[in-house]
Amino acid sequence: MHKDVHKDDGIIVVQNVTKQYSGRTVLDNVSLAVEPGKTTVIIGKSGCGKTVMMKHMIVLERPTEGQVFFKGQRIDHQHERDLAEVRRHYGFCFQMGALFDSLTVYENITFPIQQKQKITDWNKMDELVKQKLAMVGMDGFQFYFPASLSGGQQKRVALARAIALNPEVILYDEPTTGLDPVRSDIINELILKLQEALKVTSVVVTHDMKSAYKIADRIVMFHEGRILADGDADYIRNHPNPIVQEFINGQVSESELAPIRMGGTRFETQFHPEDFKPSNPKKQGQATGS
Amino acid sequence: MAMIEQIGAHTMQGVEDLGRFSRFCSRGLISSFRTLFNPRAYPLIWAQMNAIGVRSVPVIMITGAFVGMVLAIQAYDQLAGMGLEERLGVLINIAVVKELGPVLAAVMLAGRVGGALTAELGTMNVTEQISAVESMGVDPIRYLVAPRMLACLILTPLLIIYADFMGIAGGYLVSVIQLKINSAAYIDYSAQSVELWDILTGAMKGIFFGGAMAIISCYKGFTCREGAQGVGQACTEAFVGSFVCILAINFFYAIVIKSVYTTFWPIKSLL
Ligand SMILES: Nc1ncnc2c1ncn2[C@@H]1O[C@H](COP(=O)(O)OP(=O)(O)OP(=O)(O)O)[C@@H](O)[C@H]1O
Ligand SMILES: [Mg+2]
Repeated sequence: MHKDVHKDDGIIVVQNVTKQYSGRTVLDNVSLAVEPGKTTVIIGKSGCGKTVMMKHMIVLERPTEGQVFFKGQRIDHQHERDLAEVRRHYGFCFQMGALFDSLTVYENITFPIQQKQKITDWNKMDELVKQKLAMVGMDGFQFYFPASLSGGQQKRVALARAIALNPEVILYDEPTTGLDPVRSDIINELILKLQEALKVTSVVVTHDMKSAYKIADRIVMFHEGRILADGDADYIRNHPNPIVQEFINGQVSESELAPIRMGGTRFETQFHPEDFKPSNPKKQGQATGS
Repeated sequence: MAMIEQIGAHTMQGVEDLGRFSRFCSRGLISSFRTLFNPRAYPLIWAQMNAIGVRSVPVIMITGAFVGMVLAIQAYDQLAGMGLEERLGVLINIAVVKELGPVLAAVMLAGRVGGALTAELGTMNVTEQISAVESMGVDPIRYLVAPRMLACLILTPLLIIYADFMGIAGGYLVSVIQLKINSAAYIDYSAQSVELWDILTGAMKGIFFGGAMAIISCYKGFTCREGAQGVGQACTEAFVGSFVCILAINFFYAIVIKSVYTTFWPIKSLL
């Protein structure tokens, strides 16, 4: 499926982008226009290029071919210095958190502000940090170092950091992965709230269909570096393509199950340490390599 | 055919890496220069100076002291054979101040500081912290490389002076206490032969050594590959690269300084 997009079609426009890593194509001529003030959810199998796509939207990766636009301005070939200006409009929540491990939670959140201007009113800053952390249920952890937080806690701090400067565009890379169901739902509400209250444009990568349906104005499904389906929640739910159906319903096709089913009743693909011992008469020939 | 292709590919890769490295160097230098005039970045530089410099002092001093001491032991017999043992100080001090102090101090720093820089930045790189800095509209070269580079540039010459001092002191103590050389004569000969010029040019090398070490270590950290092994390998490469670079710089620096010295020799008394 391929649609032409124009550079003014959205706040972020990715046009005919191809990305190769040492000859292997990860994104294959992808075009996508992200509408302002809407929440676009990207779904797709693990390894299909969602994170790579997200990084192109903020030009952390440069396309091998194709163009990226922000507010109608081409950004994919800009100099780092000019990109820095563009990136201030973004918040990016990394898949693995990417908190600065030499800084405390408090310093992590104030980092972008501190780099931008000299902070004079520390009381106000304390208040702001407290408020942002409370949003993700992490108030009270201001002076912890990231290494002493659990994975889910780090993720939530990363989320607080991404939204700290009230950016216009927030890119969330799997914000709810690794969180308990209640907490995930709070994050969903947070994303909705930011969109409603501040008209933030969100792009969310997720594997969690429940949250996708809840927050999405539009769902885009990637498959092997291309866009396979693109539409609202109902459109995706009723999409005729079996790959889409398998993904959203969490079913697997028989062909993908084959490697697990193989071997009948005994799980023969399992390794047994004794199979590799030279004393085992049955396997001795193989083990000694003769 | 395949071999030619492979050679071609390797060459291309090499040229590409060299290009990337030169770009990194020039960006690092420009950022460092700008940072020098930005008082807001001073706390960052200060923190790095503390980590890089202050904690290296003991190890640098020990290195210097042992170099001076061993030179005294090794050179004594040769000079004593000619009845020149009172000039032992000349040999020791010239060797320490001009070559051994600067080079060994720099190599020591490349191991101690360079390794730590590469490991730190490499880990930041593989955990996407460098991308995170970038994603916030902050130039990672300005935020991460410039303070480290400046700290190395400023501190390496100072640390070299520490090493020189300890080398001279170590040589003196061994000569006078163990080898029973007349202290006044030792000092007299040494003072006559070692010039301020030698000490200054020796310490000034530190700027180049420190700069090379910092930029190579940072570059290796920034380009390090995934995983614990990637970081480890980057550290090794950074050390080897810095080491070779320090020795090469040392050689060319000697040539340049020598020609400068001979040019200005006639008017030296005026300076
Ligand atoms: N820097 C890189 N160098 C080489 N290959 C890369 C790089 N980044 C990503 N890839 C490759 O691109 C492909 C897509 O990666 P990506 O991280 O976008 O997957 P994803 O869709 O986000 O998966 P997941 O849901 O598991 O996070 C992977 O096969 C990966 O090997
Ligand atoms: Mg991903």
